[in-house]
Amino acid sequence: MTLLAILKPDFLLHHAVYGSLAVGFVCPLVGVYFVLRRLVFWGVALPQVSTAGIAFAFLLQGLGVRLLAGQEGHEKHLAIIGAVLFTAATIFILAWYERHGQGSNEGRIGALYAIAGAASILFVAWNATGESEMLGLLKGEIVSISEADFHAMLNIFAAVTAALLLFQREFTLVSFDRDMAVALGRNAGLWDLLLYSIIGLTISLGVMTVGPLVIFGLLVLPAMAALPWARGMMALSLTASALGGLSSLAGFYVSYRYDLPLGPMIVCAAFAAFASSSALRALKHLWVRPKSY
Amino acid sequence: MSLALIEFKEAALGYQKGRPVLTGVDFVVDSGAFWGILGANGSGKTTVLKTLLGLIDPLQGKVLARGREDARARFGYVPQKERLDPIYPLSAFDVAAMGTYRSFEPLARFRRKNKRAFIENCLDDCGAAALAGQPYSALSGGQKQRVLIARALAAAPEILVLDEPLSGIDASTQKALLELLNRIKHEHDLTVLMVSHRIREEKSLFSHIAWVEDGRVLVGKAAEMLAQGRLAEVFWSEL
Repeated sequence: MTLLAILKPDFLLHHAVYGSLAVGFVCPLVGVYFVLRRLVFWGVALPQVSTAGIAFAFLLQGLGVRLLAGQEGHEKHLAIIGAVLFTAATIFILAWYERHGQGSNEGRIGALYAIAGAASILFVAWNATGESEMLGLLKGEIVSISEADFHAMLNIFAAVTAALLLFQREFTLVSFDRDMAVALGRNAGLWDLLLYSIIGLTISLGVMTVGPLVIFGLLVLPAMAALPWARGMMALSLTASALGGLSSLAGFYVSYRYDLPLGPMIVCAAFAAFASSSALRALKHLWVRPKSY
Repeated sequence: MSLALIEFKEAALGYQKGRPVLTGVDFVVDSGAFWGILGANGSGKTTVLKTLLGLIDPLQGKVLARGREDARARFGYVPQKERLDPIYPLSAFDVAAMGTYRSFEPLARFRRKNKRAFIENCLDDCGAAALAGQPYSALSGGQKQRVLIARALAAAPEILVLDEPLSGIDASTQKALLELLNRIKHEHDLTVLMVSHRIREEKSLFSHIAWVEDGRVLVGKAAEMLAQGRLAEVFWSEL
């Protein structure tokens, strides 16, 4: 099986390939702001919170609480709602604490990661029904996604990408110099809210698709790999996105070819990009003087 | 004829209700003035500046722009250069261009020829034209300050607000920056407010001084304020 063959629409797992690619391209666009705003630890904790949200939604269902009418794909819709609600609420609380709270931000995120991880396991343990399917969703079950959900996911990721590129000026301004944004009369709070909403949506959908480990890897590694070479925010976003997409493709190919787990292979590919970037940067510092943009 | 651009009316300033940092703040900034907002570290100078820019609301009283509570002055803001994170992959031009981000223009990148020339002019005005393509993070303190002043100019301001623009900069660069400020103030007909915890070279530029101390703000013309015993006592080595 060649690399090109797995990209063909008649490939048995084409949903899985395109889904992984979509996550690979979109997550680094969000990850750029994690790295620049020095919120990398959010990238660890939020996918875990999203996972807890999925597990909680399933627990409610297991306890007989009916939130949605029963139909095909009902569990996945429930999981998405749980993930989005948990992630969005956590982001807004973290953002509020970051601006107004006292004490250690890293400490808060560490505590959040610990409790979200514990809660995910407990929610699964307390749920008597559908444990195996739920565990699959918690790890990211792109292979079992329905045609309708697959297209809905692609549409949402397309909207996220359009918003991130369209509002890049505003997101850069409020991230780089929030006070200047306010001095210019811009509603910095509103732009922060929009950025955080986009982050929450991307992470929630991403966790459902490829699991929390891969999401963290794709949030951080491609952006870190692109940062030393980028000249401007657009270049950084596009380079990180391209590296994320390539990592997903390479990870999927190796995983399929050698029958290895998909998620860890995507993370390894993204890490290879980061390691290569770091090595090249070290070489550049040895031999080349810094140039102007 | 001068116009009252900003007016603090019996304002209490601070971050938490019931715990004001400054009370009874009452002064008028007329157009064309050059205000020095002076005081020791931690005295509340930044609180005045944040209220002025709209980053925090006054706890009591009012802050008016052109005599109206609902109006807003056009600010050009020069923050302390250390506050801006060098991790961002921005050139000096990118940073200066942020001054033009006053309104939402989603398609700006596709029709920015005129804007580019305007930003280059602002950089040129501040002696930073040659820095346009340089990474902002790689610039020296004085160069960064020039770029930030260019960014403030790109906002087409009526009031230029500077937060400790001379801190951490060598004496000759400080002198050059003060000359630059004086020149652009007159060329662009600006009102200037400059926060400082020192008063060495810049005292000759100030027309008015707001002296922040012990939860109060004392204001007056620079010549009168500088002649007062208290300022002389605090700045004895500089006056």
